[in-house]
Amino acid sequence: MIQKKAQLKIQQMAFMLIAVTLFFVLVGMFVLTIYVSGLKNSAASLDEKNALLLVTKLANSPEFSCGEAFGNVRTNCIDADKVMMLKEKISQYKRFWDIENVEIRTIYPKSENKECTLENYPNCNILKIREGNITTEYSNFVSLCRKKVFNGEVENKCELAKLMISYNSRK
Amino acid sequence: MKQIKKAQEEMVGFALIIIVVAVILLIFVGFSLKTPKKEAVESFEVESFIQSSLQYTTDCRDTLRVFSVQKLISSCRNNEICLDGRNTCEVLNSTLKGIVKESWKISNNSAVKGYEFKIISDEKEMLKFEEGNITSNSKGSVQYFPNAEIFFKAYY
Repeated sequence: MIQKKAQLKIQQMAFMLIAVTLFFVLVGMFVLTIYVSGLKNSAASLDEKNALLLVTKLANSPEFSCGEAFGNVRTNCIDADKVMMLKEKISQYKRFWDIENVEIRTIYPKSENKECTLENYPNCNILKIREGNITTEYSNFVSLCRKKVFNGEVENKCELAKLMISYNSRK
Repeated sequence: MKQIKKAQEEMVGFALIIIVVAVILLIFVGFSLKTPKKEAVESFEVESFIQSSLQYTTDCRDTLRVFSVQKLISSCRNNEICLDGRNTCEVLNSTLKGIVKESWKISNNSAVKGYEFKIISDEKEMLKFEEGNITSNSKGSVQYFPNAEIFFKAYY
């Protein structure tokens, strides 16, 4: 009789242990789910930050940047005249930047969408440097500057634009 | 009677374990919900926007050269006028409003729900405008210049 009672007690203890273990496993799984979703979010945010930094790096690279052509060295300043020439020689820059497509779009002053060619420049607002398949697109604000003749004198003209790139992001 | 008391004690023990675990879980969830707020502080995009806007060439000029937005801010502080007679502060106001309106388009379909732009000079508000709704999710930046501070905040 006492043996049966002890067996019952052991069984009770075993059930209790199983229940507590199951409870902790469930709680652990819940915590892990939250942690993993947080990791995914931070990976996506890092990916976005990297892309934005890549846009800034591109804007400040010698092939795009204004340098000292418009006075002091400026950040996020793109020389439109330089980019027009780069557009013509883009075949020599294959695999130079790890990007598929580069585009500069003037935002302000607002004008009708017109792609830039050597014939219509500067009366246009979309500078397509390289064309390719768009997978993930990122952009950042830049100042698009060029030289302009006013009353026989050369002066600087800077407009607000967006430098857009598309590249293969991490899957 | 003794058996019932023992069973009750065990039930109380189990309930206590559950309560302790629930409290730990609540503390953990509370901490994990608090962290995302840091996103609102850093923004490369807004920083680039302010820097690029300051370089924008306006249609206001003096006898020597055409003014950029940055130059127009200092001209406005000194109450100067453009060569065509317009007030530099008015030109600055209309130019910046146009730039912000075209760059941060507010609509029900877009991510941007509102914005706030402010220029403070000599501890006085030189220019301020806002549009749309102010939400709890924002991205903003401040640019400091001698005698002027430029604030921009976009609400999502």
